[in-house]
Amino acid sequence: MERREEARVITIQALRVPRPATVPSPSATPAWSRDLLVFLAFITPNVVTLCVFSYWPMLRNLWLSFTYWDMIAPEPLWIGLDNWIEVLTSATFWTVLRNTLVFTVGSVGITIMIALGLSLLLNQKRRGRNFVRAAMFAPAILPGSAIALVWTFLLAPYYGLISQGATALGMPMTRWQNDPYWAMPTVILVIIWKSTGYDAVIFLAGLQGIPRELYEAARVDGANAWQRFVNVTVPGLSPVAFFLTVTSILSSFQAFDVIRVMTGGGPVYATTTLIYQVYSEAFVGFNAGRAATYATILFGLMLAITVVQIRMVEKRVTYE
Amino acid sequence: MNLRTRRGALSAAGLLGTGIALAACGGDTASGGAAAPAASSGPVKLVYWGAFAANLGKAQEEVVKQFNDSQKTVTVEHQFQGSYEELANKLTAALQAKQAPDMAVLSDVWWYKFYLNKAIQPLDDLMKAEKVDTKDYIESLFNEYVQGGKSYALPFARSTPLFYYNKDAYKKAGLPDRAPKTWDEFVKDFAPKLKGAIDPKQFVFANGGYSAWIFQGVIWQFGGAYSDKDFKMTIGEPKGVQAGEFYRDSIKAGWAQSVKNDTDEFKQMNAVNIINSTGSLVGILDAAKGKFEVGTGFLPEGPAGFGCPTGGAGVAILSGLAKEKQQAAMQYIAFATSPKVQAVWSQQTGYMPVRKAAIESKEMQDFIKTNPNFKTALDQLPKTKFQDSARVFVPNGDQILAKGLERILVNQEAPSTVFKEVADTLTKEAEPVIKARKALGA
Repeated sequence: MERREEARVITIQALRVPRPATVPSPSATPAWSRDLLVFLAFITPNVVTLCVFSYWPMLRNLWLSFTYWDMIAPEPLWIGLDNWIEVLTSATFWTVLRNTLVFTVGSVGITIMIALGLSLLLNQKRRGRNFVRAAMFAPAILPGSAIALVWTFLLAPYYGLISQGATALGMPMTRWQNDPYWAMPTVILVIIWKSTGYDAVIFLAGLQGIPRELYEAARVDGANAWQRFVNVTVPGLSPVAFFLTVTSILSSFQAFDVIRVMTGGGPVYATTTLIYQVYSEAFVGFNAGRAATYATILFGLMLAITVVQIRMVEKRVTYE
Repeated sequence: MNLRTRRGALSAAGLLGTGIALAACGGDTASGGAAAPAASSGPVKLVYWGAFAANLGKAQEEVVKQFNDSQKTVTVEHQFQGSYEELANKLTAALQAKQAPDMAVLSDVWWYKFYLNKAIQPLDDLMKAEKVDTKDYIESLFNEYVQGGKSYALPFARSTPLFYYNKDAYKKAGLPDRAPKTWDEFVKDFAPKLKGAIDPKQFVFANGGYSAWIFQGVIWQFGGAYSDKDFKMTIGEPKGVQAGEFYRDSIKAGWAQSVKNDTDEFKQMNAVNIINSTGSLVGILDAAKGKFEVGTGFLPEGPAGFGCPTGGAGVAILSGLAKEKQQAAMQYIAFATSPKVQAVWSQQTGYMPVRKAAIESKEMQDFIKTNPNFKTALDQLPKTKFQDSARVFVPNGDQILAKGLERILVNQEAPSTVFKEVADTLTKEAEPVIKARKALGA
């Protein structure tokens, strides 16, 4: 099925593009080489930038993972697989990996659910809708470190608004950011607060892109609200949901600012995610080799997740 | 289909970027950068990286300003870089980028790393040329920076841990107006009485801050040590574990809490006892003014007696400066550590004067008479010791120990297992240092 589709696309394109040979060439240069030059002129800047700023550092990063380097010594020292063996056999690595998964599933999953709910609400004609939309989006444009500071204030033991509220409700005084059980949920909560608005706006755009006729047709067919949601809204939103899942998972793997400011990865390793571990190995422990090992693992994981998402999940996405 | 592959390629490209963006994280290096080479006519311009904030920062600015006003040949530009850790972090990056400052404040746990990498230079010839009276420095503090017979920094903001207590709470609990003499006295007598007297929201003791520095004293008080001089890690031995048990029990028994910032908790009257640096003294006194009375005392003794480390920071000159700049930098350091400046600096911060003449000066003596809290640190100083190699010489040793302590205090893990693991990690991390020391012939 897919194959045939592909073949059709190619045929159509082949028909559309006029054969270069039919255009008389004014110069001596053969047409194909002119095309090649144009092609190169367009892609070179991009490829060069990518090579210099992405691929080369990536290779260098991989190489560093086989070395010991304190970032001051003139040359890193080749130590073979030592870093890899040490990282993969350490309890820390597995704790950090588990934290990363909890953080990602928690923040992405809950954010997308809330965002979907919010967008459905905001898609209805209600008073004050525009204000709520704007207010909801505001956290998305604030810098993470500023948000983290404000929340640290709200959560501060004794005088923070949330702590006072919790105490007033009879809850014991908790040091949210310094408690091994509460630190992770607290950070996740802040991330959700920060990213829900953005996701909701994207969902909203998706909702408005679903043709009204589909709803009308469903209504005519006697579908109730739930059936309309399941059979029209959900498939209609699936490209948007897919896009949000991919980008949110990638960005949650890279979430750093909020963790850095609120908990510093602690207490102990309670909020240390892979990216935070890369940072602390490199810029707290000055062990560039081990940091590079963690970075490579992080990269591999993200690559794998994205490939899986694109291969498996996208098949279920309904593009119009 | 086209769309699909393009998106695939794009996301893959995006991914590639992320693994690496990390490497660039350290990129926000020396924002002012090194000063331009001085014109032969004008004053020599020096960049000096500092690590002091709030009232300490103000006092540091004042020292630099006084120096600049005192002569016309050298101008020092002070640049605040954050905590000791942040400064060391930025300095590492700046050295890679060849954008290092001319002088930097380096704490007890950082200067050695830069020494091993030859990033800081010996000061002996410069001190001689500047006619620095090296004999007037407090020997123990001066000698901490001596390696292979040469000085690599001069003590500037030096401190020891101090026992702080809230006098009002002590009065309320019917306790004598003094710090506990021993931990035993504190746990059996002081803590229960305080607990009964203070507000239920308050707590008796707070752990936080540079925990591995504070615990350095505690482990000595229990007869243990982090390591010996030659990097044999001894923290996992029975006496170290015993000290760890004591720490863990402090939380279990409910008289101590593990917090992010113990000085803040003390200032806000949440905690009524802390152990923190003498360098926090003025900040604490200022915050407590009009709210409560602050008392200070020696660290309590443990089963093995007294134990208290030195700490704080010195100033070093970065390697590779022009001769003229080296001497100019020495001129500043000599000024900042002169008896006159040290006496004022000490009164404004709580750091100990590093010069004997400063302590003996009439100004300091008069000051101590009206401010007895400043006397505690000076009296305790002769009883202090240089810290164990594991914390100050092993790269990241401080953080490794602090993580271990956090596991005990916050996660309530067993000290015997935690300290054994910490010892193993420290042993491994010490390897490059031992190698580097051999290469340097130390």
